[in-house]
Amino acid sequence: MRYVTMKTLTRTLIAGCTAGLMATSSLANEAVITESFYPYKTETPQFDGLEPGMVIDQSNVAQFKDIIDPAFYRFIDQGWTNIVVGENTSFDLHPSYVEATRVALDKVTLGEQVGEINGWQAGRPFPQQPEADDPRAGEKLAWNYKYGYNWGDSAAISPFYWKYRDMDSGDVERTITFNFHFLNYKGRVNQEPTPEITPNPSDLFRAIYVQVLDPADVRDTQLLIHRAADDLKRDNSWLYLGFQRRVRRLATGQVTDAFLGSDLMIEDFEGYNGRISDMNWTYKGTRYMLMPFYNHNELTLDAETHQDDDGYQVVAFSGKGGCFPNITWQLRKVYEVESVPVDESHPLSKRVHFMDAQTFTIPRTVSYDRKGSLWKTFTIGQAHPDHHLPKNEGSGVSIDDSFSMIDVQASHCTTGQFKGQVDPEMSPPNMFNVQFLRATGS
Amino acid sequence: MQTKIKGLSLWCAVLSSATVLTLAPMSRAIAAPDARIDGFYENATYGREGVGLSKFRNTLQLEGEKRFGNVGIFSNVSVNGTLRGSYDGVYDLNDDEYGSEAGGPIRLQDLAQGSVAHGNGVGSPGSAVPLPPGNTFGFDTSQNPNDGLIVLGEHLHDQANGVAFGVPVRPCDVDGRGCIDGYLDKDEDELRFREFNDNLDFIRELYVDFDLNFDNGNILSTRLGKQQVIWGRTDLFRVLDVINPVDFSRNNIYGELEDIRIPMWILKTDYRMGPTEVFDGLAFDDLNFQLVWNFDEFRPHDIGQCGQPNVILDAGCFFRGMKNLWDNGGTVANFAGATPDGGLATDFGPGQIGIRKANIPDWKLSNTQLGLKMEGVYGDLGFSLNALTYRSQLPSLRGGIPAENGFTGQTDVWPSLIAFDIHFPRVNLIGGSVDYYSQGIDTVFRFETAYTSGEEFANTLREKLYSESDVARYVIGADKNVSIPFLNENQSFLFSGQIFGQHILDHEREQRTYGEAGIPDWEHNWIGTLLIQGFYMNNRLIPKLITAHDFRAQATALAPSVDWIVTDRFKVTAGANFKVGDGARKFDDCRSCNPWDPFTQTPGVVNQQPGESAGVGGFEPLGRFRSGPIGMAQKEDEIQLTVRYSF
Repeated sequence: MRYVTMKTLTRTLIAGCTAGLMATSSLANEAVITESFYPYKTETPQFDGLEPGMVIDQSNVAQFKDIIDPAFYRFIDQGWTNIVVGENTSFDLHPSYVEATRVALDKVTLGEQVGEINGWQAGRPFPQQPEADDPRAGEKLAWNYKYGYNWGDSAAISPFYWKYRDMDSGDVERTITFNFHFLNYKGRVNQEPTPEITPNPSDLFRAIYVQVLDPADVRDTQLLIHRAADDLKRDNSWLYLGFQRRVRRLATGQVTDAFLGSDLMIEDFEGYNGRISDMNWTYKGTRYMLMPFYNHNELTLDAETHQDDDGYQVVAFSGKGGCFPNITWQLRKVYEVESVPVDESHPLSKRVHFMDAQTFTIPRTVSYDRKGSLWKTFTIGQAHPDHHLPKNEGSGVSIDDSFSMIDVQASHCTTGQFKGQVDPEMSPPNMFNVQFLRATGS
Repeated sequence: MQTKIKGLSLWCAVLSSATVLTLAPMSRAIAAPDARIDGFYENATYGREGVGLSKFRNTLQLEGEKRFGNVGIFSNVSVNGTLRGSYDGVYDLNDDEYGSEAGGPIRLQDLAQGSVAHGNGVGSPGSAVPLPPGNTFGFDTSQNPNDGLIVLGEHLHDQANGVAFGVPVRPCDVDGRGCIDGYLDKDEDELRFREFNDNLDFIRELYVDFDLNFDNGNILSTRLGKQQVIWGRTDLFRVLDVINPVDFSRNNIYGELEDIRIPMWILKTDYRMGPTEVFDGLAFDDLNFQLVWNFDEFRPHDIGQCGQPNVILDAGCFFRGMKNLWDNGGTVANFAGATPDGGLATDFGPGQIGIRKANIPDWKLSNTQLGLKMEGVYGDLGFSLNALTYRSQLPSLRGGIPAENGFTGQTDVWPSLIAFDIHFPRVNLIGGSVDYYSQGIDTVFRFETAYTSGEEFANTLREKLYSESDVARYVIGADKNVSIPFLNENQSFLFSGQIFGQHILDHEREQRTYGEAGIPDWEHNWIGTLLIQGFYMNNRLIPKLITAHDFRAQATALAPSVDWIVTDRFKVTAGANFKVGDGARKFDDCRSCNPWDPFTQTPGVVNQQPGESAGVGGFEPLGRFRSGPIGMAQKEDEIQLTVRYSF
C-alpha cells in the first residue's frame, strides 16, 4: 500500500512538474509572440525632448541624432527636409499571420548554408528577439522580412506613380504610372486557399505582376516575376513590350540594374528584393528610431497627381528637389541589419537596413558604393491600414504608401506615390500566368 | 526564265516579328481607365546617299479603348481601335526621284553597238539584224516610250553583259505601264497617303475582346476584329510570326514589326488553363491553346512598288518591268545570241515575255487561313507548338503560260519561257519555340523553328521555271545583360544575338555549259544579328546598334541610333543605316533557256534541248536572291531623324 502511495505520489509529482513546465513553456512562447508582434503593448518608446507634433529641422536636429539614421540626419542638417513627429502607434499585423507564427514557433531552423531554411510553412519564421552573440541573427531577420506579411497574401498598388526628379532643379523629368500586383503562393494565412495555391508546379513562393499605364513610349509594358520558394534559385521573369507585342523571358541576374531608368535597382524593391543567399547578413543592434509610419488620411495630400471616384489622393512631396514625402515619423523599435553582397562585383559595398521590429518592413535603407561612400538612401512610408482606404481597414497590412530613393551622388531622386489596395479580387492567380501578359497586351 | 520572290522568304522572314461548362463571372482586376484615347504625331525624315530625301513621312495615329467590364456571360469586354494616317512628302519634295517626274530615257547594252536606246533593239524598224519572215519582234514605242524609265538594277550595278530592261517608275496614275492590277498599282495619292486606299488601311486595328470564365478557373479569351496576331519568340526574323503580311514599302526590313504588320480581320481565341497538372508527374506552370482564323480576304506582303524609296530586293522593279514587257513589249539588253560575253539588245513584242497577271486569291472559305498553337511554361522552359495553313504572302512566278513565239508569231506554252503569272501558293507550316533562362550564366536562350511545305522557288532547271520545296528555318537567340562599369555604372548593356538559318530541302542546282542553273537561293544560309543597347540619363538617352550579317551574301547592315526622350511626350530618334560588303551577285538568268527552239539555241552549246538552260547569267533578275535584302540595298545608306509627339 505504501509502495502504491509512493508510486502515486511520484506520478503526481511528475505530472505536476510536466504540467508546470508546459505552462511555463506556453507562457514563454506567448511572451515571444507578444514581444515580436505587439512591442508597444506595455511600453511606449520615448526620447528626451521628443514630442508628437514637433518638427525636427536644421535648428534642432542635433538633439535627436541618436534616433535618426545618419543619412537622413545629414539631409535635415543640410536643410533639405525636416521630420514632423507623430505619435507612436501599433501596426498590428493580421491575427492569422500571428497565429501561424504561434503554431510554427520553434519549428523553423536555418539550413547549413545561407539561403536554406527548414520547417517554414507560414508566419514569421524567427519571432524570437535577435541575440548579439548569434552569428546568424542577421540572416534570421532577413528571413523574417522575406516571409513577412508585407502586402499580405495578395494586394495591388493601383495606380502607382513614379517621378524621376532632378534634385537640384526640382524638375520632374519623367512620370511613369504603373499597376503593381502581388500574390503569395505559399505562406498564405488569410485569403483562401491557405496555406498554398495549388497546383504550384514550380514551387513558387511569390509572384509580382507590373503593368505600365503611362507614358506612351512604355505603355502596355508588362513585367511578370516568379520567385521560387528555393532561395538559391533565381527568379523567372517575363517582359511584354507594347511596341513588340511579344513576351520575352528576361535574364534576371542583373538585379542591380536601374529599373526603367529610375534610381532604384530591381534589388531595392520593398527594401530588399534579392535572394537571402546573395548577401552576408549581420545584426548590428536594436534601437528606437524615428521611422516613416503614419496615418495616410491625416496627411496633407497631393491633390494634383491623382484623382478618382474614391476621393483618394496620394502622398505629397516637398523638400529639396521635391524628393521628400510630406509625412509624419514616429519613434519605433528597429533592428539595424547590415547586408554585404557576396558578389564582389556588386556595385554596392553594403546596405544598412533599418527594419521595423513589429512589421518587419524595411522603411529605411542606406546604401554605400564600392568605395564605402554614401550613395543612395531609400525611404518607404508606411501607412496604417485603418487610416487609409476603407477596403484596407482591418487588413493587418502595413501599407507601403510612399517612397523616395535619393541618389546623393547624382543629386537625383525617384519618388513613388501609391494607392495600395489589399483586395484579392484585384490580383487573381490567373493574372500571374505568362499567358495573361499576351492576353492583356494590345 | 521563271522567278519568284521566294528568295524573299529568307528575308521576308527577317525584320528590324473538358471544362466545366458553367460560366462563372469574374471581374477584371486591372485598374485602368474605362475609356482612353491617345495618340501621336510623328515626322520621319530620311536622307539617302546619292538620292537626297528618301522619306518625309508625317504620321498621325489615334488609339482608343473602351472597357465595358462584364456584359452578360462575358467578362473583360472591351473595344479597341487604332486609326493611322500618313502623308509622305517625298513624292512632292523629291519628285524627280520618286514622284511624277522620276525616270527618263535609258540606253541598254548591246554586244554589237555598245548600247542602244530603248526601242532600238533587234526587231525594231531600225535594226539591221535579219529576222525570219513572220516574226513578231518589235513594239510600239508610242505605247512604251523611252521616258519615265530606269534600267532595272541601275542604282546597284552595271548591265555587265547581263539582262536589263526599262522599268517605269512614276506613280500608276501618271504612268500606268507595268502596274499590276490589284497588286502593285498605287497611284500618286496612294503613295503619298499610304493608309487611304480601298482596303481602308487607315483603320489600322479595330477589335473586340471578351472572356468566358469557367468554374474550374479556365478562361476562354477571344479577340475578334482587325488585328495583329504575333507568334514566336525572336526579334527581326519572321519564322513563326507569319500570320499577318508585312508592309516592306514602309522601311524595307528595318521597320518595327508593330508598325509594318498589315492587320487582318481575324478571330483569335485562347483557352487559358494556367497551372495545370495533366497527370501525376506532369504539370505545367502555364498552359494555353489558341485557335487563329484569318477570315479576311487574302493580302500579300507589300514589297514596294517601283518608284517608291523602299522596294525590298528591288523585286517591285523587276515585276513592273516584266509586266510592262508583257503588256507593251520592250527592249531587253544582251539577249539575242547571249553568251557570257553579252548579246544583242532585243525588242520583244507584247505577250511574248514578262508577267501576264497576278492571281490574288479571292475571298472564299477555302482561301482563309487557320492556325493552332499550344503554348505554356514547363519549369524553366517556355514553349510553343504551332501549326498554320496559310497563303504565301510572297509572290511566286509560275511559267508555263501561253505566250507568243517572237520568231513565228505562234501562241503556245513554251518550255522555260520567261513568261509568268504571279501566284500565292498555299503553305503549311508546323513549328515550335522554346525559351530558357540559364541561371549559371545569367543568359536567356530562345529557339524558334518552322518547317514549311508548299513554298515555291525560282528554278531554271524546270520547264515552268519554279519548283516546290520544303523549307526548314530556325532562329537561335541569346540575351544577356552585361555590366560595363567604365561606360555606365548604373545600368548594364543589353547584348542580344541571333542566328537565323534557312535550309531549302529540295534544292536543285546543276553546272551547265556557261554556269550553274537551278534554284538561285542559297541551299543553306545563315544570318546573324547583334543588338547592343545602353541606357543613360535615367533611360532618357538610349543608344543602340543593330547589326545584321548575311553569311552567304557577304553583306552586312549597321544601324546605329539614339533615342532621346526629351519629355514624357516628346521623343527624338537619330539614326543611320549603312551597308558594307558585297552587293549585287550573279546567277543564271535563263537567256540561254532555249524556249523557242531552234531559234533560241545558245551559241557554243552542243545538242541543247528545248527549255534547257545553258547557264548564262548576270546580275538580273535572279542574282537578287543571292544578294538578299542587305546586298540589294547596298547603295541605300541613309541618315534618319524621327521626332514624335505623343498626346
